[in-house]
Amino acid sequence: MGPAVDGLRQTIEETLGNGDTRLILNLAEVPMIDSSGIGLVVRFLASTKQRGGNLKLVQPSKFAIQTLRLVGVLNLFEIFDNDDAAIASFT
Amino acid sequence: MPADLTDNNPGGDLSELLNLTVPADLNSVDTITDAIAANLESLQVPEQKRLEIGLAVQEALVNAVVHGCKGDPSKHVTCRMDVDPSGRILIMVSDPGPGFDVERLPDPKQPERTHHDHGRGVYLIRQLMDDVRFERGGRQIRMWKY
Repeated sequence: MGPAVDGLRQTIEETLGNGDTRLILNLAEVPMIDSSGIGLVVRFLASTKQRGGNLKLVQPSKFAIQTLRLVGVLNLFEIFDNDDAAIASFT
Repeated sequence: MPADLTDNNPGGDLSELLNLTVPADLNSVDTITDAIAANLESLQVPEQKRLEIGLAVQEALVNAVVHGCKGDPSKHVTCRMDVDPSGRILIMVSDPGPGFDVERLPDPKQPERTHHDHGRGVYLIRQLMDDVRFERGGRQIRMWKY
């Protein structure tokens, strides 16, 4: 919520503005994801896919996975154990 | 909800652990969620349950601040936490806002709403807590975790 989500939104918007549409989001340091965070990642997943790219998740916590599943969006995302595997999946 | 644990039982079977009224801004949300987390740890609530309660409370508080009070720090949000003798936890969040009709909230799991960037907070609260009641026209939420 709040500044964290706002900061992430701004970063992703700038990245998309630079023409990068293949994004990975490392959630290893994020113990939980709330509805505003879910809304943000879902929105940008759609944005990147519309531009031929994708937004993939790395190391979401067990609770973050549970939360994404609870609201029915977990299966929208590709999830990886580390950044390298996520990056490699784009090739 | 157990028949003997009603909101007409103030100070009866319930022990009050927290009762805070704070300005309606997001910093206040952190203040309250930190206090609740500390209480849950003191009660030795298992980690999974602490996470579920913590997230549900955060969602309720953000709703109160953003929708109930329109982010106006001159308005105030109240949060209360109680525990009953068997360890069941009751959390209440209230705001002075206009309220809303919870029955009219769209289902965020409908396929056409999948990529919406909002509208999941109340749904999430209901999934995370065991009993959720909206009172006072939506200006107060009462949530139980058993």
